[in-house]
Amino acid sequence: MKEDYKGPVEYSIEIAVETIEILLKDDYGLSRRAIALLLLQDDREIREMVKRKEPGALGKIDDILNEAKSHYINPITYELALERQNAVKAITARVVKVKKGNAPFREKLSRLTMNPLTGLPILFFVLYWGLYKFVGQFGAGTVVNFLEGTIFEKYLNPFITGIFTKIVPWEVLRDLFVGEYGLITLGFRYAVALILPLVTFFFIVFSIIEDTGYLPRLAMLIDRVFKKIGLSGRAVIPMVLGLGCDTMATMVTRTLPTKRERIISTMLLALAVPCSAQLGVILALLEGKPRAMFIWAGTVVLIFLFVGYLTAKLLPGERPSFYMEIPPLRLPKLSNVLTKTYVRVKWYFKEVLPLFLTASVLIWFGQLTGLFNIFINILKKPVKLIGLPPEAASVFLFGFFRRDYGAAGLYDLTKRGYLDGVELVVACVALTLFLPCIAQFLMNVRERGWKMGFGISAFILFFSFSAAYILNFILTKTGVAL
Amino acid sequence: MKKIAIVGNPNVGKSVLFNVLTKRYVTVSNYPGTTVEVSRGETLIDNVKYEVIDTPGMYSLLPITEEEAVARRILINEKPDFVIHVIDGKNLERMLSLTLQLVEASLRVLLVLNIMDEAEKEGVTIDTHLLEKELNIPVVKTVSTAGIGIEDLKKRISAHERRL
Repeated sequence: MKEDYKGPVEYSIEIAVETIEILLKDDYGLSRRAIALLLLQDDREIREMVKRKEPGALGKIDDILNEAKSHYINPITYELALERQNAVKAITARVVKVKKGNAPFREKLSRLTMNPLTGLPILFFVLYWGLYKFVGQFGAGTVVNFLEGTIFEKYLNPFITGIFTKIVPWEVLRDLFVGEYGLITLGFRYAVALILPLVTFFFIVFSIIEDTGYLPRLAMLIDRVFKKIGLSGRAVIPMVLGLGCDTMATMVTRTLPTKRERIISTMLLALAVPCSAQLGVILALLEGKPRAMFIWAGTVVLIFLFVGYLTAKLLPGERPSFYMEIPPLRLPKLSNVLTKTYVRVKWYFKEVLPLFLTASVLIWFGQLTGLFNIFINILKKPVKLIGLPPEAASVFLFGFFRRDYGAAGLYDLTKRGYLDGVELVVACVALTLFLPCIAQFLMNVRERGWKMGFGISAFILFFSFSAAYILNFILTKTGVAL
Repeated sequence: MKKIAIVGNPNVGKSVLFNVLTKRYVTVSNYPGTTVEVSRGETLIDNVKYEVIDTPGMYSLLPITEEEAVARRILINEKPDFVIHVIDGKNLERMLSLTLQLVEASLRVLLVLNIMDEAEKEGVTIDTHLLEKELNIPVVKTVSTAGIGIEDLKKRISAHERRL
């Protein structure tokens, strides 16, 4: 039996391994190479063994270990697993033949989800029924209309406004609670009647998709497209998470192996991935207008790919490699889905409610001091430039605070009939691309540093208006009726 | 006495193979200092007596569970003459990684592709000769529950014994 398999390890791990091999003198029952690799993976038992057998070598070994580790963002264990898995894949590709048609149904379905020919229609099917039909039509349409239109607008708001009119004689104070941007009539209503149901419906769908094991398959499916924009399929996970909450997803970009991938995905998350609340409101806005929805989705996807491609071209770096363990497909358990949804919604709501209430107070204060109007006036120009009525300026001011808050403002604006079809689509695109919420901005700064954080925001501010301007130009010139 | 250690993931048929090989003198005891049980038995291959050790399930040479730690300790401390790595023929892609690690550790590995009946039912065919060349170790197909391939495995062990 020859022992010429050296293990498919990368160059600098290889150097560390070979140096440690030379330092080790004793017999360990396993090859010195295996011992070196285990030391690199922080194996405690092996370390103890080395300490016992040749304590003198440990100091030098530790230096090599630390040096080697500093070259990798991921734990060495992960790098080695990746390399080994690639080697295994190469071997099985040559050695194993699988006759199609004999696999069990689950296995067949699993393959279908990853084959571009069948996978893309399946993806479309999932998006159509999960997002468009369930979150969009049912959640954003039926449920929100009921909560918003019937419960709040018909009963709660008039009732509470009535009480406040009776017991609070000062209009200024009354406005704080029940005015146009009041704590209850706006902040609380946005959070409870709009964002809460939308986020709940979204997370139900998301949890189901997650529990079936579809996400890693989606990652495999999209891997090829993502490679073109400098990302690997692995980045699908933060991107899909971003549809839940971009802030959370930005944190998850840490799991991406290269700095380049992390920058590209942070950028794309901030620019072109709408979060659950925003997505929900936009689905609510465009509900019943499939053509408008199509243009919005198409534009955002195009921009996602375009900006991704551009950033990938601008940032030098190696092509990412990709390995992911694919768990078996399974039917999700209802209790799991409900628990997950509950935990996520609770977390989201807890974060969003105080922010929305704070926003109401800030706006109230801004109106009192006249600051609000100054900002609105500044924003009116660019808003007009992209073909929107001046009333939309407030939406973008809200958007600065939080994108979902801005989207909620847009919802009110449309309900009052300020926007026609084209204007609505342009506003939706602009707001989807618009600056991320404060939380995400802070996360960008934390994860990528001040320069990158501000750079991304500045680029997005400029880019979102430019894209909206161009879209408005095209739509008006071609005279599409929406 | 020469030693053979049977290693591999849980649920790949290690124990069945162990039982087929060792019809007599089986002892089960806790591995020193642990609650993990290890079975030992004896087998006669080509008139050479071997102690056969059925190790707890392991996924990787880097242990996470106590079972894995014990399996590795057996490899390190007992210095087996042969390591039979049993894998599920349906799942080469998931299990060969451990084979690579065992080979890399300079252990004398024999690879057993078990549960081949189910694999063939699922339309999986494996070119063992090519796999032997790729890994540079003997590869044997078995269906341990039906005793298929066991003689072949024994032959490969004795053939290696002679070559050494």
